[in-house]
Amino acid sequence: MQGASSPLRGALLGLLLERPGHGGDLASRLSRRLGESWQIDPTDVYRLLSGLEHEGLVRECEDPQASSARGRVVYHPTDQTAGALTLWLETLLPAEPMRSALHAKLAAARGEADARLLDRALRVHEQECLQMVALLPPMSGGAGSWKDLFLTCLRSGVSARLQAEIDWSRQTRMRLAEFSGSR
Amino acid sequence: MGATPPLLAFANVVKRRWDGARAMAVLDGVSFEIDDGAFVGLYGSRRSGKSTLLRMAAGLTLADEGSVRIDGQDLAKLAAPKRARLLRGTVGLVSADAFSPRPREDVIEYLTLALGSAGLTAGEARRRAYAALDEVGMAAVGLEATAALPVVERMGVMLARALLFDPRLLLVDEPAVIPSIGGREQFGALLHRLGQERKLAVLLASEELIALQGAVVTMSIGAGEVTSSDDTGVVVPFPGRGFQAVQRSAL
Repeated sequence: MQGASSPLRGALLGLLLERPGHGGDLASRLSRRLGESWQIDPTDVYRLLSGLEHEGLVRECEDPQASSARGRVVYHPTDQTAGALTLWLETLLPAEPMRSALHAKLAAARGEADARLLDRALRVHEQECLQMVALLPPMSGGAGSWKDLFLTCLRSGVSARLQAEIDWSRQTRMRLAEFSGSR
Repeated sequence: MGATPPLLAFANVVKRRWDGARAMAVLDGVSFEIDDGAFVGLYGSRRSGKSTLLRMAAGLTLADEGSVRIDGQDLAKLAAPKRARLLRGTVGLVSADAFSPRPREDVIEYLTLALGSAGLTAGEARRRAYAALDEVGMAAVGLEATAALPVVERMGVMLARALLFDPRLLLVDEPAVIPSIGGREQFGALLHRLGQERKLAVLLASEELIALQGAVVTMSIGAGEVTSSDDTGVVVPFPGRGFQAVQRSAL
């Protein structure tokens, strides 16, 4: 159901490695860490945890001090969890679905009013990309260490992706305008 | 608008160029403001109007419609000598295109010539030229021939040239002309350092979004319009740094 590249699954591995926890605890930590906009559903978290257990990346233990009669399950990392987290971090080539929602809308659009709505949505998208660039720190002017080099490369990847998003958004808006103007 | 007008203000600026017999709007109603000390990035692909916008801010091209104001003064409404005086002590344009080396001229000569006859002795002019070169970390190239300078050093010399006049606003056009990635990053870091040390406003235009990282406000330009990260006021980036820039409307 959830692929190995799923962001929730990866983040969950990281939190488990920080410290073990109940399902509810992990769900609320995920929610705190990732922010409200992710709308973390505890049911999804339990489903992910049982999937991870099947893969041998999570171990269930009974909590002896559990207050409820049936005893609550505490999830612990296994000796394979750290490796899986590394793999997820390394293979993070996000084909983020930022565009896909707009693609879907584009596919369904009809007429002038829809073109205007899409234009508005694309402007907001472009602005969000610009805001993310504004969050990046200034260049340091040369990599002094491997860590500097790593961070520089990471940021260059982020900005390359944002640049592609902005270009696509601009071009789509220009196409929409030319298309609307020609009819 | 408060008591003091912004350092640079574009208001509904329109600039056209001719494509055959048809007028194309390079800038089609662009408005934004930059205050003292703000580091603003402008992203746009080739021929998107970045250079036109910077040249207008530097007073080298005037608006067809709307106004470009420096300290509240509409550039188009000032007589040419008055405009030149206002701009000289306020705005510096750094662009590889604007670098015009002469034969058998060294960097110090290039800079002292730019200083002109501002009532300076030759010795004082040279001292200032060296100080500016030193500030951009390039004192060592003082006696090199300008015609033989690599691009990265041309950009540095242009920067030193702009600093000679103690500007409050630096307009920087396209560090992406610097061929090496390391050179571009060092140039970017230098701009940030100068911005902070001299409390300069910087408007940095590039076709590479990465060149704009660290800018407090980022804008993009294309199809005659400017979009800004600060358009809706949703984001107040890095409060406390004392930088402000606003982009009023894209239309």
